[in-house]
Amino acid sequence: MDANSIITSLKGKFPDDICDDIMESDIRIGAKVKPENVVEVCRYLKEDLSFGHLCCEFGVDYPDRNEIEVIYVIGSYEHPVVLTMKAILPRDNPEIESVVPVYWNANWYERETYELFGVKYLNHPDLKPLVLPKEMLGEWPLRKDYKGFPNKTARNLV
Amino acid sequence: MDETVEPSEMIVHLGPQHPMMPGPFRLNAKLRGETIVDSEVEMGWIHKGIEKILENKTYLQGITIVDRICYLAAMTNEEAYVGCVEKLAGIEVPERSQYIRVIMEELSRIQSHLLGMGEYASFLGFVSMFMYTIRDREDVMSLIDSVTGARVTHSFLRYGGVKDDLPDGFKDDVKYVFGNLRKAVDQYEELYRTDDIYRARTVGIGVLTADVAKDLGVSGPPLRATGVAFDIRKDEPYLVYDDLDFKVCTQTDGDVYARIQVRLDEMRESMHIIEQCLDQIPSGPLFPEDTPYGKRSPVMRIPAGEVFHRVEDPRGEMGFYMVSDGSDKPYRVKIRGPVYPTLQTLPPLLKGVTVADIVSIAGSMDTCTSEVDR
Amino acid sequence: MDEIEQTNAEQDAVLDVGYTDVPGTMLTDSNAIADFLKKTKVQDVLNWGRKNSLWFMVNAMGCCGVELLATGMAHYDTDRFGIIPRNSPRHADVLIISGYVTKKYLPALKRVWDQMPAPKWVICFGDCAISGGPFYESYSTHQNVDDIFPVDVFVPGCPPRCEALIQGFVELQKKIDAKKDKGTDY
Repeated sequence: MDANSIITSLKGKFPDDICDDIMESDIRIGAKVKPENVVEVCRYLKEDLSFGHLCCEFGVDYPDRNEIEVIYVIGSYEHPVVLTMKAILPRDNPEIESVVPVYWNANWYERETYELFGVKYLNHPDLKPLVLPKEMLGEWPLRKDYKGFPNKTARNLV
Repeated sequence: MDETVEPSEMIVHLGPQHPMMPGPFRLNAKLRGETIVDSEVEMGWIHKGIEKILENKTYLQGITIVDRICYLAAMTNEEAYVGCVEKLAGIEVPERSQYIRVIMEELSRIQSHLLGMGEYASFLGFVSMFMYTIRDREDVMSLIDSVTGARVTHSFLRYGGVKDDLPDGFKDDVKYVFGNLRKAVDQYEELYRTDDIYRARTVGIGVLTADVAKDLGVSGPPLRATGVAFDIRKDEPYLVYDDLDFKVCTQTDGDVYARIQVRLDEMRESMHIIEQCLDQIPSGPLFPEDTPYGKRSPVMRIPAGEVFHRVEDPRGEMGFYMVSDGSDKPYRVKIRGPVYPTLQTLPPLLKGVTVADIVSIAGSMDTCTSEVDR
Repeated sequence: MDEIEQTNAEQDAVLDVGYTDVPGTMLTDSNAIADFLKKTKVQDVLNWGRKNSLWFMVNAMGCCGVELLATGMAHYDTDRFGIIPRNSPRHADVLIISGYVTKKYLPALKRVWDQMPAPKWVICFGDCAISGGPFYESYSTHQNVDDIFPVDVFVPGCPPRCEALIQGFVELQKKIDAKKDKGTDY
């Protein structure tokens, strides 16, 4: 299965949800997806296009565009193509459906994106902080306008 | 995990400081008698915020930081980060530098497997094995040390090349060390195969089938132990891995014993790769000619764009997603570590096993907590 | 954090009970004996014993933890100095802070420190424990660990070599011998 046929198949199945698809090379393709239908698209990718390996899922903050992008990088165990799928959310109230029912290992990625960016995942089995202490929830440290970085308390610097 | 317990159940916390754990993480296990009913992994005890720090460092400074993501695979972390920038900026690496990178990355893989394997044996109470592997690991470490000048965190790769050439007599040193190491690996295999206690604690324990492993997103030795030949060096060749002759080591059982066996076989393959590289390595410049790379260039700007580059870490698939906005610092770097999904598989794997097998199963994943927390 | 405060409160409660209501007994504490011993030659003998059996706690927290493991094992063989890796804090004399102390991990590390029996010493191993190292400006790490623990020896490096850790132990031995360490009083 090559990159071209994957894009064609994806666009044929979801003409309204997939847009701005690009082919960077033979093994890297990218597309934007509508946040409402991300679970259906992921299920189709996994079941029909053998994209069974979620490499990672994370957020990128764009304060000047007032957007947060949630990026899914999905690979496969059968073919070498890697798909980069972006869902664009409003920065004020980012909410998206969880893909844990499709990709089991998205669980921790989503918890991390939640505590670092404040992206709220709907229907996530256990949405709570993963790497930060509970007190830091609500600071969203990886957003670009986070005030606590750089930390200036270190004294013994050489 | 549900926090409520019935009268016959109790919750045992292992960690964050636990002698049988390679780094701090906490495993909350709910027990009924000696059987684990449910469990949960808590992370983040050494979360350093590397992704945020990388956004505020220039590209050249970033190399030092990515070294410290996983201290046992510093070289492959660098390769993933440097590879991202090279893809974005379109830098061609000269062939000699590519060979040196492959040599160093495979050496790094050998030392990582030696430590992981030995540490694992010590988890099971087989401490003499740890002594043996550390003894042999020091020889490999001195080989790495002689090229990079550092034992753990090297900062060796540069955009378009490597920091230093191989020293004189490196080939002879490698030959000497590998002569000993080959015998040692055979000896380890023999020890593992004949030790009844070791076999009783590993064979048939923590079985992961291929379908489940794929579903859980596992990569690296735990996946290859189930029979899936998934290796980024073969599936998506980077550097000169295309020109080299090596095979992907797989086992079919998927249990703890198979995972250790895969690591033993991989060390042999790595030695084979390094010897080929040393025979084939061409002479030539370390950096692309007529470019500023390799010279003093404090400010380096990378064209805007996004790229995902992945390499084969000792523990599996290591990937970096980099967003560049055209300035001298990356806009966003996402680190996709191999242990992150592997550690997530512990709760389903531990369901229904006894307390004594927790250490056996958790240790066999060769977890590097630093990389999970970042 | 709460757990540590709670254990402190419990210990204070135990001390407050005392034996004042038992007739014929005199209240004393161990410091009086220790203070008396310090003026005599017995303390020299004690320190000689202590400095030659510095059992350290295996607490690998970061990159330096790998060097920590390698130091205790076959090649560098610290057993010959009486420096033995121990897995339980209750057996250990030396806590080696071998990495970045995060806000989440600090309570756990304090708890490990409280579990160790006195006399006990702290070695800051690596730049991260000394000043924050490469992560000095991070949002989640805790800088200035020496405000919290009575650190006797700092071993700089990122990570320091195994030889540096052995040198750190030798410096600690010298300090104990000269009675200038912070740990014995702790």
